[in-house]
Amino acid sequence: MSIPKLSDYKDVVGRDVIGELYTLASHVGKRSIKMVNSTAVGGGVAEMLHRVVPLLNELGIETRWEVIKGGADFFDITKAFHNALQGKEEYFEPEVFKTYLAYNEMNYQEMSFEEDLIVIHDPQPAALIKWQNKRKNKWVWRCHIDMSHPNQQVWDFLRSYVELYDAAIFSSPLFSPQLKISQYRFYPAIDPLADKNRELADDYIAGVLEKYEIPRDKPIVTQISRYDPWKDPVGVIQAFKMARRHVDCRLLLVGDKAADDPEAEEILAQVNEAAGDDPDIKIIFLTHSIPTEINAFQRASDIVLQKSIREGFALTVSEALWKYRPVIGGAVGGIPAQIIHGYTGMLVYSAEGASLQIRSLLQQSELAKRLGENGHQRVKDEFLITKLLKRYLLLLLALDHPGKSTVLLD
Amino acid sequence: MRVFQFCSSASLEKLTGRKAHNLDELLELVKGCSSSSIFYHTFSAFRKLREVQTPYTNDFAVWIMRHLSAEALAEKLLAIDLAEYNTIESLRSRIVEVLEGYRSENPSLFEKRAAEPFYLYSVVRFVYLTDKFAYNLSSFRQLLDTISTDSIYYHFIESRLQTQLQTDDFSSWMEENPDYKELAEKIRNIDMNIHTLEELRVRIGKIIDQYL
Repeated sequence: MSIPKLSDYKDVVGRDVIGELYTLASHVGKRSIKMVNSTAVGGGVAEMLHRVVPLLNELGIETRWEVIKGGADFFDITKAFHNALQGKEEYFEPEVFKTYLAYNEMNYQEMSFEEDLIVIHDPQPAALIKWQNKRKNKWVWRCHIDMSHPNQQVWDFLRSYVELYDAAIFSSPLFSPQLKISQYRFYPAIDPLADKNRELADDYIAGVLEKYEIPRDKPIVTQISRYDPWKDPVGVIQAFKMARRHVDCRLLLVGDKAADDPEAEEILAQVNEAAGDDPDIKIIFLTHSIPTEINAFQRASDIVLQKSIREGFALTVSEALWKYRPVIGGAVGGIPAQIIHGYTGMLVYSAEGASLQIRSLLQQSELAKRLGENGHQRVKDEFLITKLLKRYLLLLLALDHPGKSTVLLD
Repeated sequence: MRVFQFCSSASLEKLTGRKAHNLDELLELVKGCSSSSIFYHTFSAFRKLREVQTPYTNDFAVWIMRHLSAEALAEKLLAIDLAEYNTIESLRSRIVEVLEGYRSENPSLFEKRAAEPFYLYSVVRFVYLTDKFAYNLSSFRQLLDTISTDSIYYHFIESRLQTQLQTDDFSSWMEENPDYKELAEKIRNIDMNIHTLEELRVRIGKIIDQYL
């Protein structure tokens, strides 16, 4: 399939939404953006940049994307920083910070920053700004990670650089600290035309279920998530077993694990033990997931669960809502932004709560249908890539009018 | 009748890093925050959750209901009719008045810690002209079906803060024609607090159809 153009989104989001993007782009005028992150492949940020960069160019915003370089020592440090900013307790020696800064300086010397707007993604390249004296352009730091309980040592170090920026962007108010600079909220977004989300033929969906030997004789309840304790796969099995005393259904658990994650093997063992030899529980462990297959699993499901107990944003929720699935989600991280309880899905706080909602939704098809429809609309309004493009255009306009809360565009 | 050029508006949400854990802290936030924060948590709510059908026009009330279970106070805040406020400062004063009035009767409630904090936002609004023009009621009616919900939101809800009038742009425009005085009044009387933006479009359309 060829890469979708902006015009291809008209049928999905509506002509007026694409028209508005062009109108706003005309107000922005001829501008340039440079995106900087630390990896070209793998992970949600790279996946999103692969789509946002060409689409911004289509809108006339000259957008480039550069990836910083570093040795294994640098990426070990930034991985540790990442974990620390997400709350892991760890003490770092001064040499660690020196190494981090040395790599940032090396990258700064090798790159140019002539564009009107420089968007630095995540902590790895955050200190690049340190060497940019007397700048004429705007610099914005885009933080994609959960900063609700940051390790203070790492955050104090990083904050001194973050506050040199013109603005920062976070995915949720939960992740936003008090800063001396302006902060914007950008939700992450899914691409409705990507393989993971586009429409699929019924034959293909049936073929995927056949391949994985999943009968369709009963309603299917699914959780698609990495095998990770925070996604609570064992809690999902408990919820399923409680619900099945009242409603006949199957559970489908689909997940992969990070290559270097020894914890995942342990979790998978716990999951297998919790499932026992129950013929209605299907556990699929993927080393490399195929996006269209994930899409098929979601579309074949009667209910999608995301029963996390700690979460970043969990765009898997938006993926399922986009497919009109009723979703039951843990009330953590970015999930409540996507699920408005009782309107666009159901929020739960325990395995018991999840089991009650499974029972409720499998026995009330009208309610399940309504949640799916409302959820689809909410994703359409807030969590699609077209909305992300709009936010970038508005950001360019907002940075032109610092301090203004209302801007009348001529 | 002058030509009516449709406008639209877009918003970029700002985070402040500020939050309230109880009603006392919320009251302080409401008193001291920027007017764009008040705007965001009241007028913008129409746009934020446009698929939700219940009155959902006040984030403060929703938080109080969900995380403090103080339903009576939440209802008092939800009952503030935004249509009556054409300045943010008058709306802020009313919210403060409701909160302080309730505190005098229920002081202990104001110290109760909420399950989740209230996160204060603010917003940058952008208003722009579209390429859609209505020359008479008939062309207005045709365009009504094609304009974005953002445009409906702007003209029917948000623009009163710009015009400082206690009315929407549509009825103001219709009123310029003496034949449409009654129509204008019917449009103006639509309860903007109750309907989603799509429902507003349908209701306005149905009323206009009676006059074509």
